[in-house]
Amino acid sequence: MDSPRRIVIVGGGIAGVSTAAALRAGGFLDDITLVDAGEFPYDRPPLSKEYLAGTYEIEKLALQPASWYDDHRIRLVNRTEVTAIRSGEAAVELADGSRLAADRVVLATGGHAARPLIAGVGDALDSLVHVLRTAADADRLRKALVPGARLMIVGGGLIGAEVASTALELGCEVTLVDPASPPLAHAVGTPVACWLHELHAERGVTVLRSGVESISAAVGGMQALLSGEKEPRYFDAVLLAVGMVPSTGLAEAAGLEIDRGIVVDEGQTTSTSAVLAVGDTARRRVGGVLQPRAEHWEAAQHDGARAAATILDLPAPETSASWFWTDRHGLHVEAVGRIADAVETVTRGRIGDPAFSVFGLAGGRVVGAVAVNEPNAARAARRLIDRRLPVETSRLADAGTDLRRLLRG
Amino acid sequence: MTISTGIRVAALDDVAEGEGIAISKAITGTADNIAILRDEDGSVWALDDTCTHETASLADGWVEDGHVECPLHSSKFCLKSGEVQGLPATKNTCPHRVELRDSDIWLFPNETP
Repeated sequence: MDSPRRIVIVGGGIAGVSTAAALRAGGFLDDITLVDAGEFPYDRPPLSKEYLAGTYEIEKLALQPASWYDDHRIRLVNRTEVTAIRSGEAAVELADGSRLAADRVVLATGGHAARPLIAGVGDALDSLVHVLRTAADADRLRKALVPGARLMIVGGGLIGAEVASTALELGCEVTLVDPASPPLAHAVGTPVACWLHELHAERGVTVLRSGVESISAAVGGMQALLSGEKEPRYFDAVLLAVGMVPSTGLAEAAGLEIDRGIVVDEGQTTSTSAVLAVGDTARRRVGGVLQPRAEHWEAAQHDGARAAATILDLPAPETSASWFWTDRHGLHVEAVGRIADAVETVTRGRIGDPAFSVFGLAGGRVVGAVAVNEPNAARAARRLIDRRLPVETSRLADAGTDLRRLLRG
Repeated sequence: MTISTGIRVAALDDVAEGEGIAISKAITGTADNIAILRDEDGSVWALDDTCTHETASLADGWVEDGHVECPLHSSKFCLKSGEVQGLPATKNTCPHRVELRDSDIWLFPNETP
Protein backbone atom coordinates (compact mmCIF):
# COMPACT_ATOMS: atom_id res chain seq x y z
CA MET A 1 0.00 0.00 0.00
CA ASP A 2 1.12 3.58 -0.62
CA SER A 3 2.18 5.60 2.39
CA PRO A 4 -0.98 6.96 3.96
CA ARG A 5 -1.39 10.72 3.91
CA ARG A 6 -4.75 11.19 5.58
CA ILE A 7 -5.56 9.53 8.89
CA VAL A 8 -8.99 9.76 10.49
CA ILE A 9 -9.25 8.69 14.12
CA VAL A 10 -12.78 7.94 15.30
CA GLY A 11 -13.18 8.62 19.01
CA GLY A 12 -11.44 11.01 21.40
CA GLY A 13 -10.76 8.86 24.44
CA ILE A 14 -7.28 8.04 25.67
CA ALA A 15 -6.80 5.51 22.82
CA GLY A 16 -7.68 7.97 20.06
CA VAL A 17 -5.69 10.87 21.46
CA SER A 18 -2.71 8.58 22.11
CA THR A 19 -2.81 7.37 18.52
CA ALA A 20 -2.68 10.95 17.25
CA ALA A 21 0.16 11.84 19.62
CA ALA A 22 2.15 8.74 18.65
CA LEU A 23 1.71 9.45 14.93
CA ARG A 24 3.22 12.90 15.37
CA ALA A 25 5.93 11.62 17.71
CA GLY A 26 6.76 9.02 15.07
CA GLY A 27 7.31 11.69 12.43
CA PHE A 28 4.01 11.60 10.53
CA LEU A 29 3.72 14.97 8.78
CA ASP A 30 0.42 14.74 6.90
CA ASP A 31 -3.23 15.07 7.90
CA ILE A 32 -4.59 13.77 11.18
CA THR A 33 -8.27 14.30 11.92
CA LEU A 34 -9.74 13.27 15.26
CA VAL A 35 -13.53 12.98 15.26
CA ASP A 36 -15.13 13.08 18.68
CA ALA A 37 -18.76 13.13 19.73
CA GLY A 38 -18.06 15.30 22.77
CA GLU A 39 -17.01 18.90 23.28
CA PHE A 40 -13.34 17.94 23.70
CA PRO A 41 -11.45 14.73 24.50
CA TYR A 42 -11.39 14.13 28.23
CA ASP A 43 -9.94 11.64 30.66
CA ARG A 44 -12.33 9.09 32.14
CA PRO A 45 -10.74 7.75 35.34
CA PRO A 46 -11.85 10.79 37.42
CA LEU A 47 -15.50 10.27 36.37
CA SER A 48 -16.02 7.84 39.25
CA LYS A 49 -13.88 9.85 41.67
CA GLU A 50 -12.99 13.57 41.72
CA TYR A 51 -15.35 14.56 38.92
CA LEU A 52 -18.27 12.65 40.41
CA ALA A 53 -17.51 14.18 43.80
CA GLY A 54 -17.63 17.64 42.22
CA THR A 55 -14.00 18.38 43.14
CA TYR A 56 -12.94 18.72 39.48
CA GLU A 57 -14.59 20.65 36.70
CA ILE A 58 -14.77 19.06 33.25
CA GLU A 59 -12.03 21.40 31.97
CA LYS A 60 -9.61 19.78 34.42
CA LEU A 61 -10.28 16.45 32.69
CA ALA A 62 -9.15 17.61 29.23
CA LEU A 63 -6.73 14.98 27.91
CA GLN A 64 -4.76 17.77 26.26
CA PRO A 65 -5.11 21.55 26.35
CA ALA A 66 -6.84 23.07 23.30
CA SER A 67 -3.51 24.49 22.08
CA TRP A 68 -2.03 20.98 21.87
CA TYR A 69 -4.20 20.08 18.89
CA ASP A 70 -3.06 23.21 17.03
CA ASP A 71 0.58 22.74 18.04
CA HIS A 72 0.52 19.19 16.71
CA ARG A 73 -1.62 20.03 13.68
CA ILE A 74 -4.32 17.62 14.73
CA ARG A 75 -7.68 18.66 13.37
CA LEU A 76 -10.23 18.10 16.10
CA VAL A 77 -13.76 17.70 14.75
CA ASN A 78 -15.87 17.76 17.88
CA ARG A 79 -19.57 17.12 18.51
CA THR A 80 -19.56 14.93 15.45
CA GLU A 81 -20.20 11.27 14.83
CA VAL A 82 -18.85 9.06 12.10
CA THR A 83 -21.76 7.07 10.68
CA ALA A 84 -19.99 4.82 8.17
CA ILE A 85 -16.58 3.67 6.99
CA ARG A 86 -16.16 3.71 3.22
CA SER A 87 -12.78 2.02 3.03
CA GLY A 88 -13.28 1.19 -0.66
CA GLU A 89 -13.52 4.93 -1.28
CA ALA A 90 -10.87 5.86 1.31
CA ALA A 91 -13.33 7.93 3.33
CA VAL A 92 -15.59 8.03 6.35
CA GLU A 93 -19.08 9.45 6.36
CA LEU A 94 -20.28 11.88 9.02
CA ALA A 95 -23.74 12.27 10.54
CA ASP A 96 -24.50 15.27 8.31
CA GLY A 97 -23.79 13.19 5.21
CA SER A 98 -20.44 14.83 4.46
CA ARG A 99 -17.28 12.80 4.00
CA LEU A 100 -13.74 12.94 5.27
CA ALA A 101 -10.99 11.48 3.12
CA ALA A 102 -9.12 8.73 4.98
CA ASP A 103 -6.30 6.53 3.74
CA ARG A 104 -6.37 4.91 7.15
CA VAL A 105 -9.19 4.86 9.68
CA VAL A 106 -8.40 4.22 13.33
CA LEU A 107 -11.45 3.12 15.31
CA ALA A 108 -11.18 4.28 18.91
CA THR A 109 -14.88 4.04 19.56
CA GLY A 110 -14.64 2.68 23.10
CA GLY A 111 -17.73 1.10 24.52
CA HIS A 112 -20.91 1.66 26.41
CA ALA A 113 -22.03 0.45 29.79
CA ALA A 114 -23.41 -3.08 29.76
CA ARG A 115 -26.99 -3.70 30.87
CA PRO A 116 -27.35 -6.64 33.22
CA LEU A 117 -29.97 -9.30 32.62
CA ILE A 118 -32.37 -8.04 35.25
CA ALA A 119 -36.13 -7.84 34.80
CA GLY A 120 -37.08 -4.20 34.39
CA VAL A 121 -33.71 -3.12 32.96
CA GLY A 122 -33.83 -2.23 29.30
CA ASP A 123 -31.65 -0.22 26.97
CA ALA A 124 -33.59 2.90 27.88
CA LEU A 125 -32.91 3.77 31.49
CA ASP A 126 -35.52 4.80 34.01
CA SER A 127 -34.76 8.29 35.31
CA LEU A 128 -33.53 6.84 38.61
CA VAL A 129 -31.32 4.16 37.01
CA HIS A 130 -27.76 5.10 36.08
CA VAL A 131 -24.69 3.86 34.29
CA LEU A 132 -21.26 5.51 34.30
CA ARG A 133 -19.24 5.77 31.17
CA THR A 134 -19.29 9.42 30.08
CA ALA A 135 -19.11 12.83 31.71
CA ALA A 136 -22.84 13.24 30.99
CA ASP A 137 -23.49 9.98 32.90
CA ALA A 138 -21.43 11.34 35.79
CA ASP A 139 -23.33 14.66 35.77
CA ARG A 140 -26.62 12.80 35.93
CA LEU A 141 -25.42 10.46 38.69
CA ARG A 142 -23.98 13.31 40.75
CA LYS A 143 -27.40 14.98 40.91
CA ALA A 144 -28.73 11.80 42.52
CA LEU A 145 -25.94 11.56 45.10
CA VAL A 146 -27.37 14.00 47.61
CA PRO A 147 -26.70 13.45 51.32
CA GLY A 148 -28.92 10.70 52.67
CA ALA A 149 -29.84 9.32 49.23
CA ARG A 150 -30.11 5.54 49.17
CA LEU A 151 -27.96 4.26 46.31
CA MET A 152 -27.86 0.67 45.14
CA ILE A 153 -24.81 -0.24 43.07
CA VAL A 154 -25.07 -3.42 41.02
CA GLY A 155 -21.54 -4.75 40.46
CA GLY A 156 -18.50 -4.47 42.72
CA GLY A 157 -15.78 -4.12 40.10
CA LEU A 158 -13.65 -1.01 39.59
CA ILE A 159 -16.46 1.41 38.73
CA GLY A 160 -18.87 0.04 41.33
CA ALA A 161 -16.27 0.10 44.09
CA GLU A 162 -15.02 3.59 43.27
CA VAL A 163 -18.52 5.04 43.08
CA ALA A 164 -19.36 3.35 46.41
CA SER A 165 -16.44 5.18 47.96
CA THR A 166 -17.32 8.53 46.36
CA ALA A 167 -21.02 8.23 47.21
CA LEU A 168 -20.15 7.47 50.82
CA GLU A 169 -18.03 10.64 50.95
CA LEU A 170 -21.00 12.56 49.58
CA GLY A 171 -23.13 11.31 52.46
CA CYS A 172 -25.19 8.68 50.65
CA GLU A 173 -26.42 5.39 52.08
CA VAL A 174 -24.74 2.90 49.78
CA THR A 175 -25.71 -0.71 49.11
CA LEU A 176 -23.31 -2.71 46.92
CA VAL A 177 -24.67 -5.89 45.37
CA ASP A 178 -22.49 -8.42 43.58
CA PRO A 179 -22.95 -12.17 43.18
CA ALA A 180 -19.21 -12.79 42.79
CA SER A 181 -17.03 -13.12 45.83
CA PRO A 182 -14.83 -11.29 45.79
CA PRO A 183 -14.75 -9.02 42.74
CA LEU A 184 -11.29 -8.42 41.20
CA ALA A 185 -9.90 -11.75 42.47
CA HIS A 186 -8.44 -12.46 39.05
CA ALA A 187 -6.75 -9.06 38.83
CA VAL A 188 -5.32 -8.65 42.34
CA GLY A 189 -5.39 -12.19 43.78
CA THR A 190 -8.02 -13.55 46.16
CA PRO A 191 -6.59 -12.39 49.53
CA VAL A 192 -6.24 -8.75 48.46
CA ALA A 193 -9.56 -8.85 46.61
CA CYS A 194 -11.29 -10.14 49.77
CA TRP A 195 -9.73 -7.44 51.89
CA LEU A 196 -10.62 -4.70 49.40
CA HIS A 197 -14.21 -5.91 49.21
CA GLU A 198 -14.51 -6.15 53.00
CA LEU A 199 -13.30 -2.57 53.28
CA HIS A 200 -16.61 -1.41 51.83
CA ALA A 201 -18.51 -2.77 54.80
CA GLU A 202 -15.94 -1.42 57.23
CA ARG A 203 -16.42 2.04 55.79
CA GLY A 204 -20.19 1.83 56.05
CA VAL A 205 -21.39 0.34 52.78
CA THR A 206 -24.02 -2.39 52.98
CA VAL A 207 -22.44 -5.22 50.99
CA LEU A 208 -24.69 -7.99 49.72
CA ARG A 209 -23.49 -11.09 47.92
CA SER A 210 -26.46 -11.60 45.72
CA GLY A 211 -27.97 -11.35 42.30
CA VAL A 212 -30.76 -8.93 41.46
CA GLU A 213 -34.03 -10.42 40.19
CA SER A 214 -35.83 -7.26 39.23
CA ILE A 215 -35.76 -3.49 39.42
CA SER A 216 -38.88 -1.40 39.08
CA ALA A 217 -40.31 1.98 39.93
CA ALA A 218 -41.77 2.43 43.38
CA VAL A 219 -43.42 5.40 45.07
CA GLY A 220 -40.74 8.08 45.21
CA GLY A 221 -37.93 5.79 44.11
CA MET A 222 -36.98 2.34 42.90
CA GLN A 223 -37.49 -1.09 44.33
CA ALA A 224 -35.15 -3.99 43.80
CA LEU A 225 -35.85 -7.64 44.49
CA LEU A 226 -32.65 -9.50 45.31
CA SER A 227 -32.16 -13.21 44.70
CA GLY A 228 -33.54 -15.29 47.53
CA GLU A 229 -35.35 -12.39 49.22
CA LYS A 230 -39.10 -12.11 49.50
CA GLU A 231 -39.43 -8.38 50.15
CA PRO A 232 -38.05 -5.72 47.83
CA ARG A 233 -35.50 -3.18 49.02
CA TYR A 234 -36.11 0.50 48.31
CA PHE A 235 -33.63 2.96 46.84
CA ASP A 236 -33.53 6.51 45.55
CA ALA A 237 -31.13 5.62 42.73
CA VAL A 238 -29.58 2.55 41.14
CA LEU A 239 -26.19 2.37 39.40
CA LEU A 240 -25.61 -0.50 37.00
CA ALA A 241 -21.86 -1.17 37.03
CA VAL A 242 -21.54 -4.55 35.38
CA GLY A 243 -18.88 -3.85 32.79
CA MET A 244 -18.77 -2.55 29.26
CA VAL A 245 -19.82 -3.58 25.79
CA PRO A 246 -17.47 -2.52 23.00
CA SER A 247 -18.96 -0.13 20.44
CA THR A 248 -18.49 -2.14 17.27
CA GLY A 249 -21.39 -0.84 15.17
CA LEU A 250 -19.26 0.98 12.59
CA ALA A 251 -16.93 -1.99 12.26
CA GLU A 252 -19.80 -4.45 11.92
CA ALA A 253 -21.45 -2.38 9.20
CA ALA A 254 -18.12 -2.29 7.38
CA GLY A 255 -17.95 -6.09 7.52
CA LEU A 256 -14.91 -6.27 9.81
CA GLU A 257 -14.23 -9.35 11.94
CA ILE A 258 -15.90 -8.98 15.34
CA ASP A 259 -15.69 -11.26 18.35
CA ARG A 260 -16.84 -9.39 21.45
CA GLY A 261 -14.66 -6.56 20.20
CA ILE A 262 -13.14 -5.54 16.90
CA VAL A 263 -10.57 -8.24 16.17
CA VAL A 264 -7.15 -6.79 15.38
CA ASP A 265 -3.72 -8.29 14.78
CA GLU A 266 -0.63 -7.61 16.90
CA GLY A 267 -0.19 -4.25 15.17
CA GLN A 268 -3.87 -3.21 15.72
CA THR A 269 -4.94 -3.76 12.09
CA THR A 270 -8.47 -5.11 11.64
CA SER A 271 -9.50 -7.66 9.04
CA THR A 272 -9.41 -4.75 6.53
CA SER A 273 -5.91 -3.40 6.05
CA ALA A 274 -6.93 0.27 5.84
CA VAL A 275 -8.79 0.14 9.15
CA LEU A 276 -7.18 -0.17 12.59
CA ALA A 277 -8.81 -0.35 16.01
CA VAL A 278 -7.48 0.67 19.43
CA GLY A 279 -8.57 0.83 23.06
CA ASP A 280 -11.64 -0.65 24.72
CA THR A 281 -13.29 -1.58 21.45
CA ALA A 282 -10.38 -3.65 20.16
CA ARG A 283 -9.41 -7.24 20.83
CA ARG A 284 -5.94 -8.34 19.79
CA ARG A 285 -5.00 -11.65 18.32
CA VAL A 286 -1.47 -12.37 19.44
CA GLY A 287 0.36 -15.44 18.15
CA GLY A 288 -2.94 -16.73 16.77
CA VAL A 289 -4.69 -16.44 20.14
CA LEU A 290 -7.48 -13.94 20.72
CA GLN A 291 -6.74 -12.00 23.91
CA PRO A 292 -9.34 -10.69 26.36
CA ARG A 293 -10.06 -6.98 25.98
CA ALA A 294 -7.72 -5.07 28.26
CA GLU A 295 -10.18 -2.32 29.26
CA HIS A 296 -7.56 -0.26 31.05
CA TRP A 297 -6.31 3.28 30.62
CA GLU A 298 -2.67 2.54 29.89
CA ALA A 299 -3.46 -0.42 27.64
CA ALA A 300 -5.38 2.02 25.43
CA GLN A 301 -2.28 4.22 25.21
CA HIS A 302 -0.18 1.24 24.19
CA ASP A 303 -2.71 0.33 21.51
CA GLY A 304 -2.38 3.86 20.13
CA ALA A 305 1.40 3.62 20.04
CA ARG A 306 1.21 0.27 18.24
CA ALA A 307 -1.33 1.54 15.71
CA ALA A 308 0.87 4.54 14.94
CA ALA A 309 3.90 2.29 14.45
CA THR A 310 1.89 0.10 12.06
CA ILE A 311 0.72 3.10 10.04
CA LEU A 312 4.23 4.54 9.89
CA ASP A 313 5.78 1.14 9.14
CA LEU A 314 8.02 1.49 12.19
CA PRO A 315 9.08 -1.33 14.53
CA ALA A 316 6.46 -2.16 17.15
CA PRO A 317 7.04 -0.30 20.43
CA GLU A 318 8.41 -2.29 23.34
CA THR A 319 5.77 -4.01 25.39
CA SER A 320 5.47 -3.76 29.12
CA ALA A 321 3.52 -5.64 31.77
CA SER A 322 -0.04 -4.38 32.06
CA TRP A 323 -0.80 -1.82 34.77
CA PHE A 324 -3.90 -0.32 36.28
CA TRP A 325 -4.83 1.56 39.40
CA THR A 326 -7.95 2.07 41.44
CA ASP A 327 -8.58 4.60 44.19
CA ARG A 328 -11.20 3.90 46.83
CA HIS A 329 -11.71 4.67 50.53
CA GLY A 330 -8.58 6.80 50.53
CA LEU A 331 -6.35 4.01 49.23
CA HIS A 332 -4.29 3.91 46.06
CA VAL A 333 -4.17 0.39 44.65
CA GLU A 334 -2.03 -0.59 41.67
CA ALA A 335 -1.77 -3.92 39.91
CA VAL A 336 0.82 -4.95 37.33
CA GLY A 337 1.23 -8.04 35.21
CA ARG A 338 -0.85 -11.16 35.74
CA ILE A 339 -0.94 -12.25 39.37
CA ALA A 340 -3.40 -14.97 38.33
CA ASP A 341 -0.48 -16.74 36.60
CA ALA A 342 1.50 -16.99 39.86
CA VAL A 343 2.25 -20.34 41.47
CA GLU A 344 3.39 -18.71 44.71
CA THR A 345 2.97 -15.29 46.28
CA VAL A 346 5.21 -13.21 48.50
CA THR A 347 3.72 -10.52 50.72
CA ARG A 348 5.76 -7.50 51.75
CA GLY A 349 4.21 -6.07 54.85
CA ARG A 350 0.81 -7.38 55.91
CA ILE A 351 -2.36 -7.61 53.82
CA GLY A 352 -4.86 -5.23 55.36
CA ASP A 353 -2.25 -2.93 56.85
CA PRO A 354 -1.25 -0.45 54.11
CA ALA A 355 1.28 0.16 52.79
CA PHE A 356 1.84 -3.40 51.59
CA SER A 357 2.37 -5.32 48.39
CA VAL A 358 1.92 -8.85 47.13
CA PHE A 359 4.18 -10.28 44.44
CA GLY A 360 3.16 -13.29 42.38
CA LEU A 361 5.95 -15.55 41.11
CA ALA A 362 6.26 -18.42 38.67
CA GLY A 363 9.47 -20.14 37.68
CA GLY A 364 11.56 -17.93 39.96
CA ARG A 365 10.36 -14.73 38.28
CA VAL A 366 7.78 -12.12 39.14
CA VAL A 367 4.68 -12.42 36.93
CA GLY A 368 2.35 -10.00 38.67
CA ALA A 369 1.96 -7.80 41.73
CA VAL A 370 -0.50 -5.65 43.59
CA ALA A 371 0.55 -2.72 45.75
CA VAL A 372 -1.58 -0.71 48.16
CA ASN A 373 -0.29 2.77 48.99
CA GLU A 374 3.13 1.57 47.87
CA PRO A 375 3.57 2.91 44.33
CA ASN A 376 7.24 2.13 43.97
CA ALA A 377 6.65 -1.55 44.74
CA ALA A 378 4.38 -1.63 41.69
CA ARG A 379 7.00 0.21 39.63
CA ALA A 380 9.73 -2.20 40.76
CA ALA A 381 7.49 -5.21 40.06
CA ARG A 382 6.81 -3.96 36.59
CA ARG A 383 10.49 -3.69 35.81
CA LEU A 384 11.19 -7.11 37.34
CA ILE A 385 8.54 -8.58 35.03
CA ASP A 386 9.64 -6.67 31.94
CA ARG A 387 13.30 -7.53 32.41
CA ARG A 388 12.50 -11.13 33.30
CA LEU A 389 14.91 -10.97 36.21
CA PRO A 390 15.17 -13.99 38.49
CA VAL A 391 14.43 -13.11 42.13
CA GLU A 392 15.13 -14.86 45.40
CA THR A 393 11.89 -15.27 47.30
CA SER A 394 13.56 -14.66 50.66
CA ARG A 395 15.05 -11.35 49.54
CA LEU A 396 11.76 -10.25 48.03
CA ALA A 397 9.86 -11.16 51.20
CA ASP A 398 12.25 -9.19 53.39
CA ALA A 399 10.66 -5.77 53.82
CA GLY A 400 14.16 -4.46 54.46
CA THR A 401 15.24 -5.27 50.89
CA ASP A 402 15.30 -2.20 48.69
CA LEU A 403 13.37 -3.34 45.62
CA ARG A 404 15.62 -1.27 43.40
CA ARG A 405 18.50 -3.49 44.48
CA LEU A 406 16.67 -6.52 43.10
CA LEU A 407 16.64 -4.79 39.74
CA ARG A 408 20.36 -4.28 39.91
CA GLY A 409 20.83 -8.00 40.59
CA MET B 1 15.28 35.90 35.96
CA THR B 2 16.03 36.49 39.59
CA ILE B 3 19.35 35.07 40.61
CA SER B 4 18.86 33.49 43.97
CA THR B 5 21.34 32.47 46.57
CA GLY B 6 22.19 28.82 46.84
CA ILE B 7 20.85 26.82 49.77
CA ARG B 8 22.52 23.72 51.14
CA VAL B 9 19.53 21.37 51.25
CA ALA B 10 20.99 17.95 51.96
CA ALA B 11 24.04 15.77 52.01
CA LEU B 12 24.43 13.70 48.88
CA ASP B 13 24.07 10.55 50.97
CA ASP B 14 20.63 11.70 52.14
CA VAL B 15 19.22 10.92 48.70
CA ALA B 16 19.50 7.33 47.49
CA GLU B 17 20.06 6.68 43.82
CA GLY B 18 16.71 6.26 42.11
CA GLU B 19 14.90 8.24 44.79
CA GLY B 20 14.13 11.75 45.91
CA ILE B 21 13.45 13.97 48.88
CA ALA B 22 11.14 16.97 49.13
CA ILE B 23 12.41 20.30 50.39
CA SER B 24 9.72 22.50 51.91
CA LYS B 25 8.86 25.76 50.19
CA ALA B 26 9.36 27.39 53.58
CA ILE B 27 13.06 26.68 53.05
CA THR B 28 13.27 27.23 49.28
CA GLY B 29 11.09 30.33 49.17
CA THR B 30 9.43 29.01 46.01
CA ALA B 31 5.75 28.64 45.10
CA ASP B 32 5.93 24.85 45.43
CA ASN B 33 8.07 22.47 47.43
CA ILE B 34 11.10 21.30 45.48
CA ALA B 35 11.94 17.64 44.82
CA ILE B 36 15.63 16.79 44.91
CA LEU B 37 15.90 13.74 42.68
CA ARG B 38 18.90 11.48 42.23
CA ASP B 39 19.16 9.49 39.03
CA GLU B 40 20.58 5.98 38.96
CA ASP B 41 23.82 7.33 37.51
CA GLY B 42 24.23 9.37 40.69
CA SER B 43 23.41 12.76 39.13
CA VAL B 44 21.19 15.11 41.14
CA TRP B 45 18.31 17.22 39.80
CA ALA B 46 15.59 19.47 41.18
CA LEU B 47 11.99 19.95 40.03
CA ASP B 48 8.86 21.49 41.47
CA ASP B 49 7.61 18.71 43.70
CA THR B 50 3.88 18.59 42.96
CA CYS B 51 2.87 16.63 39.88
CA THR B 52 1.13 18.93 37.42
CA HIS B 53 -1.71 16.42 37.07
CA GLU B 54 -2.97 15.74 40.59
CA THR B 55 -1.63 16.24 44.07
CA ALA B 56 1.29 13.86 44.35
CA SER B 57 4.88 14.40 45.41
CA LEU B 58 7.42 13.68 42.68
CA ALA B 59 9.99 13.18 45.45
CA ASP B 60 8.11 9.92 46.16
CA GLY B 61 8.38 8.91 42.51
CA TRP B 62 10.55 6.47 40.63
CA VAL B 63 13.72 8.07 39.28
CA GLU B 64 15.41 6.34 36.38
CA ASP B 65 17.10 7.10 33.10
CA GLY B 66 16.74 10.87 33.12
CA HIS B 67 13.10 10.85 34.25
CA VAL B 68 10.93 10.79 37.31
CA GLU B 69 7.69 8.83 37.21
CA CYS B 70 4.85 10.16 39.36
CA PRO B 71 3.84 7.74 42.13
CA LEU B 72 0.12 8.15 41.44
CA HIS B 73 -0.54 7.80 37.72
CA SER B 74 2.97 7.42 36.27
CA SER B 75 3.18 10.71 34.37
CA LYS B 76 6.84 11.14 33.41
CA PHE B 77 8.92 14.29 33.66
CA CYS B 78 12.41 14.98 32.31
CA LEU B 79 14.77 15.53 35.25
CA LYS B 80 16.75 18.17 33.39
CA SER B 81 14.04 20.24 31.72
CA GLY B 82 10.89 19.40 33.67
CA GLU B 83 9.19 18.57 30.37
CA VAL B 84 6.21 16.25 30.68
CA GLN B 85 6.72 13.09 28.64
CA GLY B 86 3.71 10.98 29.43
CA LEU B 87 0.01 11.43 30.17
CA PRO B 88 -2.07 11.98 32.21
CA ALA B 89 -0.15 15.18 33.08
CA THR B 90 -0.01 17.65 30.21
CA LYS B 91 1.89 20.54 31.77
CA ASN B 92 5.64 20.75 32.28
CA THR B 93 7.00 21.14 35.76
CA CYS B 94 9.66 23.70 36.69
CA PRO B 95 13.33 22.67 36.94
CA HIS B 96 15.80 24.30 39.34
CA ARG B 97 19.58 24.30 39.34
CA VAL B 98 21.51 22.15 41.80
CA GLU B 99 25.21 21.99 42.44
CA LEU B 100 27.29 19.42 44.29
CA ARG B 101 29.88 20.92 46.62
CA ASP B 102 32.00 18.27 48.25
CA SER B 103 29.34 15.86 49.48
CA ASP B 104 26.55 18.41 49.84
CA ILE B 105 23.65 19.27 47.55
CA TRP B 106 23.13 23.00 46.97
CA LEU B 107 19.89 24.21 45.47
CA PHE B 108 19.49 27.42 43.49
CA PRO B 109 15.73 27.96 43.39
CA ASN B 110 14.33 29.41 40.15
CA GLU B 111 17.67 29.22 38.34
CA THR B 112 17.67 27.27 35.09
CA PRO B 113 19.81 24.13 35.28
